[in-house]
Amino acid sequence: MTRWLVTVAIAAILITEVAHSEENVPNLKDPKVIAAGHDLFLAKQCAHCHGADGRGGINLTRRELDPKGVFQSIADGREKSGLRMPAWRGVLSDEEIWQATAYVLSISQQSK
Amino acid sequence: MGKMTLVASVSLACLLSAATIAVAADPGTEDPNNWPQYHRTSNAWRYSPLDQINKDNVSKLSVAWIAQGGDITMGIQETPLAIDGVIYSTTSGNRVAALDGRTGRELWSYQPKLDPLTKKVLFAPYSRGVAVGHGMVFIGTVDGRGIALDQQTGKVLWETQLTDFAECHGCNFTSPPVVAGDVLTFGSTAGELATQGKIYGVEAKTGKKLWEFNTIKNDPKSWPGESGKYGGGGAWMPGTYDADTGTIFYGTGNPGKDFINTDRAGDNLYTDSILALDAKTGQLKWYRQEIKQDVWDYDSPYEIMLFKKDGKDLIVHMNKSGYVFVLDKNDGKIENIWPISDVKNFVKDIDKKTGELIGRVELPMDQETLICPSTFGGRSWNSGAYNPRTGLWYNNVLDFCGYLKPVAQKDDPKEYGTGHTGSNDFGRLVLAPDGRKPGRLDARDPFTGERKWTYEMEVPGFASALTTGGGLAFNGDPLGVLRAFDADTGKVLWSFNTGSGMRSGIISYAVDGEQYILVPSGWGSYAALLLPPLFPQLQNIPAASTLIAFRLAK
Repeated sequence: MTRWLVTVAIAAILITEVAHSEENVPNLKDPKVIAAGHDLFLAKQCAHCHGADGRGGINLTRRELDPKGVFQSIADGREKSGLRMPAWRGVLSDEEIWQATAYVLSISQQSK
Repeated sequence: MGKMTLVASVSLACLLSAATIAVAADPGTEDPNNWPQYHRTSNAWRYSPLDQINKDNVSKLSVAWIAQGGDITMGIQETPLAIDGVIYSTTSGNRVAALDGRTGRELWSYQPKLDPLTKKVLFAPYSRGVAVGHGMVFIGTVDGRGIALDQQTGKVLWETQLTDFAECHGCNFTSPPVVAGDVLTFGSTAGELATQGKIYGVEAKTGKKLWEFNTIKNDPKSWPGESGKYGGGGAWMPGTYDADTGTIFYGTGNPGKDFINTDRAGDNLYTDSILALDAKTGQLKWYRQEIKQDVWDYDSPYEIMLFKKDGKDLIVHMNKSGYVFVLDKNDGKIENIWPISDVKNFVKDIDKKTGELIGRVELPMDQETLICPSTFGGRSWNSGAYNPRTGLWYNNVLDFCGYLKPVAQKDDPKEYGTGHTGSNDFGRLVLAPDGRKPGRLDARDPFTGERKWTYEMEVPGFASALTTGGGLAFNGDPLGVLRAFDADTGKVLWSFNTGSGMRSGIISYAVDGEQYILVPSGWGSYAALLLPPLFPQLQNIPAASTLIAFRLAK
C-alpha cells in the first residue's frame, strides 16, 4: 500500500512536471523576461512579418492578445486568412516561448 | 460504335480541331491549344498563339467557370497546365487536381500526407505548379519528395525522397520539376537555408534518382574555409529544357548568409548563376555567374528564355537585381546586359562585356544601408511574357527599395523557421528616393531593353504575365484586378475584379473550338506578409485559392 502511494505520488509529480513547463507562466511583465523575449523576437526573425517594433505586415500592436493564445500561436504556428506562421515548439524551449510571449504582449494593446 | 457514327465522330473532331485557331510552326506557336508546361513552350516565352480572343472582342470576356483549390494558406501561386481540354492544378499543401477545361468540374484530386516538419520550415506549403509527361503528373513536394501520379486517375505511381529534409534546414521543392526527355529534374530551395542547394535528375518512368548537382562548388577559392558548408544556392524555380542540345538550364539562388560576405570572400560559385547541365547525366556544360559574392539577395532562378536571332542561339534571362543578361546559348558568352529599371544603387552598373559588377555597395554590420531594388528584386519570381508578333517582353517591374542591416547569426540547420540570412528581417521597405510610382508593367525589347510602353501602378504587380496571338497582354495585380492590354500600345482594353490578389500564372488554352483565359486568383506568399507596411492597400486583401476561366460571351 505504501509502495502504491509512493508510486502514485511520483507519477503525480512527473505529470505535474510535464504540465508545469507549459503551465508555469513566468511573470510576463518582468522587464528581464520581456527583454529576453525581444532578443528572441529579433534573432528568430519574427520581425520579417511583424516588424522590428511589431508594426510590420502582421501588426501586433493593434491587437488585444491573451497570454495562452500567443504562446500557442508561437508554439504550434498559425494559419489564418491565408497567412502562415511557422511552428516553434521543439525549436524554442517553453521558457523561450514564454519570453517571446511576454514581449509580444508588451507591445500589444494588452499592455496599454 | 457503328461505322457511320465513327466517321461522323472523326469528322466532327476534325471540324472542331480546324475551328480551334490557326496552327503554325514558328517558335512559340507549337501545340497552340495547350499549355503543357510551366512556361507553355520550351523557350519559356509564356506566349499563347491563340487569337480568338483579340483586341476587338476582349471586352466581351465573361466567366465560363470557377473552381476552388481548397486550402488558401499562402494563396495560390501556381501556373496551371492545360492539356487536351484538362486542367492540371496544384494548390496549398501540394494538393493536385485535374479539372474539365470546359466546365471546371473536378475529374480527380490527390493530396500527399506531408511530413509534420513542414509546419516549421520557411518555405511551405505553397507550390508553383505541376509537370506532365509520359502519361504522368509530377510534383515536387514541400517535404522534398518527387511524386508521380497517373495522368488519368491521379493514383500514385512512384515517389522518391530527394532532399534530406530534416537535416537541410527544410530544403524542399516549391516549384514543379521539368520533363527533360526521359529525365525529370528538380531544383531545391536553399538560398535562405543553412544547406547546400542541389538539382536532382530522376528517371521519369520509375522515380529512380540518376544524379544530383551541388550548386555550391567544392572549391576553397570560391568558398574560403568552411563558408561553403551552408552556402545556400539551390534552384527554386523551374529550369528550361532545350531538347536540341539535351541541356537543362537552371538559374540558381543566392549565397548564404544573404547579407554577410566577410567569411565567403570568393565568387561563391555556383550561386546567382545560370547553369547548363546535361539532362541525362547532370554534368556541367557551362555556367555564367551573374552576381558574384551577392550580399543583396539577388537570386538568378527566373525564367531562362531561348531565342534564335541573326543566326545566333540566345538566352535572355533576368535575375532579381533587375539586370537582364543576353547570352550565347551554347557557351554562356555575354552578348549584352541591360537593366529593367534605373532604380538601382547596389552597383553603379554591370559591365556589358565582362559582366563585372562596377562600384558595388557593401553592407556594414549592424547598420542600415539603403539598397535598390529591394529584396523583392527589380521584378519578383513571377515570369514575364514575350510576344513574337510585337517583339516585346512584358514584365512587372518593382521600383522600390529597402534598408538592409546585417547582424551576426549562428549557423543552425535545425532553426527551421529562421532564415540563414545574417539579419533580423528581409529589409525595411521604402519607396524609391525619387518618389516615382512603385511598380509598372513594362513592354521592352528583350535584347536591347528599349522600352515601347509602360503602365504605372500604385501597387506593383506580382503575377506572371500572359501574351497572346490576339495582340493582348494580360496582367493581374495584388488588389485583384485582372487587366487586358493592347500588346502594341499598353492601352487597357478590359478589366475584371477577381476578388483576391494575384501571385500566380495566367494561361490560355482552347478546347472544342473556344479559347479560354485561365486566371488563378488568391493573394498570399511572403509578399502578403511583408508588403503591407509599404502598401497599406494590401492590409485587408482577402486570401483565396480560386481558378477563374474566361471565354467570349455567347
